Amino acid sequence: MINDSTLISELERRFNDNKKVIAELEELTEQLKAVNKKLEESESLKSYFISNIRNEIINPFTSILNLSKQISSMSDIEKAKKSADLIYGEAFFLDFQLKNIFAAAELEAGETYPQIYSVNVVSTVQNLLDSYQSSIASKKLDIVISSSVANDFTFKSDPGKLTLIYSNLLNNAILFSKEGGKIEITLSFEYESMVFTIKDFGIGIEQDKVKLIFDRFKRLDNTINTLSSGYGLGLSVTKAITDMLNGTISVESEVGNGATFTVMIPDVHMDIEATGTAIDENGMLF
Amino acid sequence: MDKYYLYPATLFASDVSYEVTTVLGSCVAVCLWDNVKQIGGINHYMLPLWNGQGLATPKYGNIATEKLLQRMLELGCSKSNITAKIFGGGEIIDTQISSFNIGERNIQMAKETLAELNIPIVGLSVGGKLGRKIIYFTESGKVLHKFIEKTLGNS
Repeated sequence: MINDSTLISELERRFNDNKKVIAELEELTEQLKAVNKKLEESESLKSYFISNIRNEIINPFTSILNLSKQISSMSDIEKAKKSADLIYGEAFFLDFQLKNIFAAAELEAGETYPQIYSVNVVSTVQNLLDSYQSSIASKKLDIVISSSVANDFTFKSDPGKLTLIYSNLLNNAILFSKEGGKIEITLSFEYESMVFTIKDFGIGIEQDKVKLIFDRFKRLDNTINTLSSGYGLGLSVTKAITDMLNGTISVESEVGNGATFTVMIPDVHMDIEATGTAIDENGMLF
Repeated sequence: MDKYYLYPATLFASDVSYEVTTVLGSCVAVCLWDNVKQIGGINHYMLPLWNGQGLATPKYGNIATEKLLQRMLELGCSKSNITAKIFGGGEIIDTQISSFNIGERNIQMAKETLAELNIPIVGLSVGGKLGRKIIYFTESGKVLHKFIEKTLGNS
């Protein structure tokens, strides 16, 4: 026999349960909406990314084609030399961008891994600066290197990956420097790590955007109308490679006062396969 | 038999016989094997979930397992013949990854992703306080497993 009060309390309980379920459902719907919005955003960023990549490849190519066609009909050798310089600049930039694009594809496929050799970091940086000589000269930049490591100092790391990290940072520093500006590079070896810092005195990055710059599809200012990706794919590649080499990368910046990037890459001083000692004699088979 | 050392945030699959070694702390490795084609693949991820920032590399569990399956299918495997084994996810104090409970969350991500993909888990050794060294034989799908004291925080 059920009396009225039990019945009412049971009904109340069920109503409350219902309310709870509805509240949960509402919360889930909200979460779903948020995820949806993120997806939409990433879709639009993706198409932005594709059009960006297209510009970065097709525009330099068009310049190269046109310039080289002109050269063949030039009689003035000085003019031809200038065009050849321009072709070199475009081709150099194209090569750099393609390296980043392929590095990103390999990293995302999980197909690239550290290939460890002795690296002479001073000559690595010197070679890099030599290869950027024409863009450094055309912007009349003053490059100041202070190094606390000997010229013949070597440490164990992946030279190809290290070069790509440094060249992305140098490329950005050049890109965001004002004409006649200065870039400071320091090299030191601390706590078993190679420390590379690069400081430019260019436009800088807003505080709230600093943490976004390693994001894959983000470029901070979509309106910058240059052929370069700037803080685009290059920095997310840089970050991923730095992670792979067990290193760290950080940035300090103030708007109008330039940016300082610091990369620390640890020395690989032991056989990576021996990173643990077995504590039992016999392995198990699964 | 060819040997391959699998680094964190990478993956490997092959239709010829390989001996793949990897060392796991809080990281998780998912070994997939097609018992008909006798093709094996393995990943080694460090964090559970890609949050849409940075490159979508196999550093993240959800990406790593889906990409590995994709690679297996490209090698001619059928999803219905694939089984999985999971290793790692220990509670290792790791200077590289500061997040809390990362091992446990990595294990959870492997189980969830495999459940979504309808791939049965036929073997596992996960959790605990120790690191692991595993050798995966891609042709037989067998895994030789040893507990180790981790000395480096690389995975």
